[in-house]
Amino acid sequence: MTNTHEAFQVTIANKAQTISCASDQTILQAAIAAGLDYPYACATGNCATCISKIENGTVSLLPRADAALREAQVKTGLTLACRAQPRSDVTITWLARTAG
Amino acid sequence: MASRADMATRRARACAALLAQVHGITDKEGITPSALHAIKLKLVALARRAELFPLSDFTMPEAQGRTHPLLLEDNDGHGLYLTIGLPGKEAAPHDHGIWCINAGISGRERNRFYRRTDDGRTPQHATVIQVGEVVVEPGHGMAMADHDIHSTEVVGHEPSVQLALYGYALARFPSVSWFHPAFSSVRATASRRHAA
Repeated sequence: MTNTHEAFQVTIANKAQTISCASDQTILQAAIAAGLDYPYACATGNCATCISKIENGTVSLLPRADAALREAQVKTGLTLACRAQPRSDVTITWLARTAG
Repeated sequence: MASRADMATRRARACAALLAQVHGITDKEGITPSALHAIKLKLVALARRAELFPLSDFTMPEAQGRTHPLLLEDNDGHGLYLTIGLPGKEAAPHDHGIWCINAGISGRERNRFYRRTDDGRTPQHATVIQVGEVVVEPGHGMAMADHDIHSTEVVGHEPSVQLALYGYALARFPSVSWFHPAFSSVRATASRRHAA
């Protein structure tokens, strides 16, 4: 089967590493597949362990719990890597810890 | 028609009566499978009284999932909540570390149950297999013991509205372990048992 999902370049600023992420993939999934130690726990938008800052680019968010990421936080550029699917090339910084 | 304040009073009384029944069961039996089943039947009965839980009294999620406290006991007691999940809201397989019971008011949420199959010796590595499934919907509920593992997904086109009773309030939860079959991984959130 042909994969018709567009792929974007996602730069994980904490690691200064750029990976490919399909539009139907979350940034967390792509990071794990690339062997990056991205912080996460629930991976389904409930715990906010993977809360991150979008430095550049746009993402679409899968369903999440209010308690994990408020709309007001989204407006300031925060996201959940486990819920964020790229809609352009993206630069992202995880906030949970400084080294992974 | 009852005023909003009257409804809140009736609801609070019903929730307090439920917790009294729960303690009546656990004081006698402890937390056993039969006690959890008995509590589930009580919670399902309360959830059937949907008139006590009009959605107009509860803010809908701004995203896809929101939890409203109904009764939080003092002295590190139980927590009773009303949860609202919109279609597609999900949670990966997880172990709360504390028992929980859910009962449907409206909508449908699929709960899948899992068993861990690795020996737990490799940090951050785990494998699980599915061992059961129930749909929490009106007239139905589910009960889990302290270290049972379940995943959830709101299915259908309606919000899933449920009553959720936990052994501890969410703000006092132990570490929750999250399992990811796709990565054969397990990750834990920090315990809140130290919190005031």
